[in-house]
Amino acid sequence: MTALQPAVDDQSTPSDGPAATAADDAADGLLTATSEEAALEWLHANRCTDGLPVVIPTPERVERMVLASGLDGDLSLGEMGPGGGAATVAKVAANAVMAGATPDHLPVILAAVRAVLQPEFDLGEMQSTTHCTAPLVIVNGRARQWARVASGSGALGPGHRANASIGRALRLTMINVGMARPGESDMALLGHPGKFTYCLGEAEEASPWEPQHLDRGYAPDQSAVTVVGAEPPHSVIFSGDADDPDSAERLLATLGAVLANVGSNNAHFRCGAQTVVLNPEHAAVLAAAGLDRRQIRERLTELAVNPTERIASLNPTFAGRADRATEFRAVRDPDDLVILVAGGSGLYSAVMPSWAAGAHHNPIVHAEVVLDQACEVPLR
Amino acid sequence: MRDGIETAKRGLPTVALVTEEFWAQGDFVAGAAGMPDLPRQQLPHPVAGSGRQAMADLADRIADDLIGRLRGQPVGTAS
Repeated sequence: MTALQPAVDDQSTPSDGPAATAADDAADGLLTATSEEAALEWLHANRCTDGLPVVIPTPERVERMVLASGLDGDLSLGEMGPGGGAATVAKVAANAVMAGATPDHLPVILAAVRAVLQPEFDLGEMQSTTHCTAPLVIVNGRARQWARVASGSGALGPGHRANASIGRALRLTMINVGMARPGESDMALLGHPGKFTYCLGEAEEASPWEPQHLDRGYAPDQSAVTVVGAEPPHSVIFSGDADDPDSAERLLATLGAVLANVGSNNAHFRCGAQTVVLNPEHAAVLAAAGLDRRQIRERLTELAVNPTERIASLNPTFAGRADRATEFRAVRDPDDLVILVAGGSGLYSAVMPSWAAGAHHNPIVHAEVVLDQACEVPLR
Repeated sequence: MRDGIETAKRGLPTVALVTEEFWAQGDFVAGAAGMPDLPRQQLPHPVAGSGRQAMADLADRIADDLIGRLRGQPVGTAS
């Protein structure tokens, strides 16, 4: 017999599905199943997974994860929308177990949950929108080494356990505590693969600039997650030329064109945080031109523009909302841009447009990754 | 749906307009907000982009009933 610690909010435990084999043990609030395989089938049937197999959150596994946090399992980090479940440390830990996370990943996962629970992130609305947005988690500081978060080649692709598990733990928490269920409360018309996991570190060692979390007021010895609701990465090709004095400006213009992609919400709504992931080679082109991150943000804001008539010709419904401005700026303010360095060196950087909606228009949020509360838990 | 919840919280007469595609989500959101009985009017989907005449026809069909519900009168054929 296998026991499962519910990963869902206590007030919204799902009813048994057709393939359910687990039974609710009212005495201790645990579910029981005849085997791990049966428990997995129950979790799938009750829509507690992302569709992939999960690690069964047995009480022992969850307890070990909570112990690693150094926090009280009953501590609530806040209510998570749209369902309004209480995101306690234990619930987050249970979802982290399901995601395949290790105790070393937990401080980053908890920070990501704290970040998305900040009211200005509008998580409940973000989870409910028909847009495809997903929280992108960017890790900075010593937490990258602590949790072994990848920031180099293929950082957003498969093969990096921490990146995969941390982003997935956040997603499973959003499913089971926030109660975001496709077609019922998560109304994304299509979704995107980053809704399974969407996490990377900044390649601070390959960057010509200070780590990007310092822009948000953190000290160099602090670790932090920066979280942005984001579309999938849109690839940006650029080949630099050291003999071309305009190389940096050409790169910026190329990035600006993708930031102003006329199909994006940002281009139409003229707001919303957007993310620019520069590969180290492209970052070096800009640094060689003497540009710092602030100057890059300002220049990209100037360049990410569409003529009003262009938007009006494609989507008059939205252009009709505009004032008589002659241009639609896709970036409202330079501070709406997250610029980081990550990935391998080469031709390609990436831009992640965003939802640009909700009461707060899709802002950047962040939270410190607290490492000094975490306890080392030996492997079994 | 969320707009309806916000107006209802302010004590204003409310009927949320929800298209059939979003009806289940409306139930979920109303329940999560602690207002499972918040009055709702189901609309065909989609309404946006259906054209001026189609929207006018829809408004003609439901307006009297909506106004009645907002005034607290017995509900007619709308649900």
